[in-house]
Amino acid sequence: MSLAETKSAVTQQLMESLQKQAPKIAFIPDAEIVSAIRQLEEKGIPNNKHEDYKYCNIEACIRREFKSVEQSFQSLGIEDIAAYKIDEAINLVVLNGAYSAELSEKVIAKGISIKSLNDISGKEKDLIASQAKSFSDSLIALNTVFCNNGLFFKVEKNNAIPMPVHIIYINNTDKPSLSNSRSFIHIETGSELTLIESFVNAGTGKVFSNYVSEKLLDENAKLTCYTFQNEGAASYSVHTNSVKVNRYANYSNTTLTLSGELVRNNHNVELAASNCEAHLNGLFLTKGTQLVDNHTLIDHQMPNCESNELYKGIASGKSSGTFNGKIFVRKDAQKTNAYQSSKNILLSDDATINTKPQLEIYADDVKCSHGTSTGKIDTDALFYLKARGIGEESARKLLLQAFAEEVIEKIEVESLKERILQLFEKTL
Amino acid sequence: MANELLEEHIQNEYKWGFITDIDADEAPKGLNEDIIRFISAKKKEPEWLLEFRLKAFRNWQNMVEPEWAHVSYEKPNFQDIIYYSAPKPKKELASLDEVDPELLKTFEKLGISLEEQKRLSGVQSNIAVDVVFDSVSVKTTFKETLAEKGIIFCSFSEAVQDHPELVKKYMGMAVPPTDNFYAALNSAVFTDGSFCYIPKGVRSPMELSTYFRINASGTGQFERTLIIADEDAYVSYLEGCTAPQRDENQLHAAVVEIITHKNAEVKYSTVQNWYPGDKDGKGGIFNFVTKRGLCLEDNSKISWTQVETGSAVTWKYPSVILKGNNSVGEFYSVAVTNNYQQADTGTKMIHIGKNTRSTIISKGISAGFSNNSYRGLVQIKKGASNARNFSQCDSLLMGDKCGAHTFPYIEIKDKSAIVEHEATTSKIGEDQLFYCKQRGIDTEKAIGLIVNGYCKEVLNKLPMEFAVEAQKLLAISLEGSVG
Repeated sequence: MSLAETKSAVTQQLMESLQKQAPKIAFIPDAEIVSAIRQLEEKGIPNNKHEDYKYCNIEACIRREFKSVEQSFQSLGIEDIAAYKIDEAINLVVLNGAYSAELSEKVIAKGISIKSLNDISGKEKDLIASQAKSFSDSLIALNTVFCNNGLFFKVEKNNAIPMPVHIIYINNTDKPSLSNSRSFIHIETGSELTLIESFVNAGTGKVFSNYVSEKLLDENAKLTCYTFQNEGAASYSVHTNSVKVNRYANYSNTTLTLSGELVRNNHNVELAASNCEAHLNGLFLTKGTQLVDNHTLIDHQMPNCESNELYKGIASGKSSGTFNGKIFVRKDAQKTNAYQSSKNILLSDDATINTKPQLEIYADDVKCSHGTSTGKIDTDALFYLKARGIGEESARKLLLQAFAEEVIEKIEVESLKERILQLFEKTL
Repeated sequence: MANELLEEHIQNEYKWGFITDIDADEAPKGLNEDIIRFISAKKKEPEWLLEFRLKAFRNWQNMVEPEWAHVSYEKPNFQDIIYYSAPKPKKELASLDEVDPELLKTFEKLGISLEEQKRLSGVQSNIAVDVVFDSVSVKTTFKETLAEKGIIFCSFSEAVQDHPELVKKYMGMAVPPTDNFYAALNSAVFTDGSFCYIPKGVRSPMELSTYFRINASGTGQFERTLIIADEDAYVSYLEGCTAPQRDENQLHAAVVEIITHKNAEVKYSTVQNWYPGDKDGKGGIFNFVTKRGLCLEDNSKISWTQVETGSAVTWKYPSVILKGNNSVGEFYSVAVTNNYQQADTGTKMIHIGKNTRSTIISKGISAGFSNNSYRGLVQIKKGASNARNFSQCDSLLMGDKCGAHTFPYIEIKDKSAIVEHEATTSKIGEDQLFYCKQRGIDTEKAIGLIVNGYCKEVLNKLPMEFAVEAQKLLAISLEGSVG
């Protein structure tokens, strides 16, 4: 956030058009909203001059694609959702940024509490915006000021939820719109949850989705997340995940990006107590003029924590893919084990891969390493397969599948894995 | 134990910190067009060079000091610096006898006795030294021997007088005067430096070396080095630096340019030992240097090897632009920081030509309260087919108050490129220490052994003479900083 810039014309215009329909937000503390407005005034929507957005110019994207923001959101019926559901999970729906109880399935599992953010009170209210701070990113600020109504999801103490929960974030609009969706996932002490988050787009209009999700894991909690991004060519999205992991807790996330014209993932994980762990995995497959930018920050604050990252990407056409991972080890975080790996394949001469694996380390008794490699399909492997009578095309496909499988096989929900494998094959 | 040893090390004094008391011919403090004209007039420069300086200065005035590096320091006041300080006497020196005896003593203290060099010259020689003292070159040894081969090795000012066509052609080719804040400043106010031209087909029979020293107080050192290797030429070039102990921070903003033609190779090694400031981080040199090599034509090679132990703040990225097909760029670096030193160093490898290759090996060691960052860029441009890069950057941490950071940027726009990067951060293993101690090697020596082993890949690349000095420097810089 070193570049102090005055509010740009783009930010100004965007804020004005959103202001017209700005909802009254009761669930975010006033101080945070003030700080958010200040952030937007001072920094504006980030562009490529901004170190963290060097390879992903959000300002230019809004200037180009969202000259007028009409906020023409449409509702959907239960039958429209059917195709996105996962049978073995409890399916919940967040439509155009707001939690929809009508479209969501009834929850029968014990220990789960689901509310719309407008209905929370007391202690729950104090949690909102405790992780996602507006001063750290203008897009969080934008969400803080203009988010409509989101989802508050809690697993109460000592409950291991036996079936996965699937949240479908769906937008439906026929004219250029901007949605600011927000959610808070709280896993209380000793609880366990498998969470699938799907991001899809049902409408015909262009949509810029600015998601903010805060996730809090109390002691001994376990949260396994699968993020499935398949929003289609008319969608531009920024996904901010701000996660706080407490003692003995275990957070893991696998992000799969199959479509979306612009997809930016900001994954910020705070390992706030000792002996906890975080695992982040990601896979993207880009074509055409797509841009996928995976940003991760793992903040090791306390001793004896572990983090692991594996990000893979395949870029073809004129697309571009980025991995920027930062491991931050603070003074107190002795005995940290942190590992980061990014592997990428370029399929065309017009595609671009940018990687920036960063280590920032202030403790001495640590084991931190990162590795990244970018290249083409292994010609030896290709030759080996061709020598055995497999055609060039199928051999290529086979090798790319094998490359991707390292990430896909992390998915433990069978039907989701099937769906992704099928989609992956189709996209190839 | 770590703390005791750290304490002990903190007592270590900068061994090269002495001030030579000789008259200096100085410009008044401050920076404006008049000062630049003064420097240019003083050096009897041709009109085009003055234009070059003024153009750079006008650009510099519109530039902002960069802030992206992972360092914090009080910004120098550019009006409070003396931009020209030449040691007297300034007349042409024919033999060493004419050099100020004080000056010679200084060099003896530095361990690069020119006397000795001279004496050796009759018998056998392997290094030619150009000594730059407060930005002015005082003496170049073995000039005649080199001249026989057609090699030009002299101070930058001499080159401007004697070979203006070469200087004009190549200067600013790798580092344009508008490249960055400090390069622009240097282009405006540089006073001297070294110039080296190896003609077609010549392999330099000896290693060429420059020794830099900042002496006068309140001066900045702005030297410029230009090395050109014509077709099929080869040279190994060394550079060393020291400065006296002072309370205030002094600025060193140099520019080094290397240009290689077809099949040429330049190997550039440097041991940088500027005064790093005292144990509380007071004083020390700000080392903001732009070094860049340009592999202009096919099959050429540029290799940077650096051992960085000095400076309060270092900001330095020796880079290679691989323009010619099949050209090769290499970067080997050891950067040691102790006490309150800050280093933000690394390299840039820009692949433009086909089949270009680059290797980056960077070893960082941080101790005390220091911060040591590796920042690198590997860029494969579109059309740079079959480009290959391998990078490895390791960091070693000693003590729990220091920091080690890695900021690699990798940008790939060609599908046939293969780029690999790996980095690790760790401390000296307890088991490694235990193993040594068990065999009767005390902690101190064991650390020396382990650190030298850790840096071996880089130290091996240094020419003999420098490798010895570098190992000694490493030992001095790190003496007892771990347990």
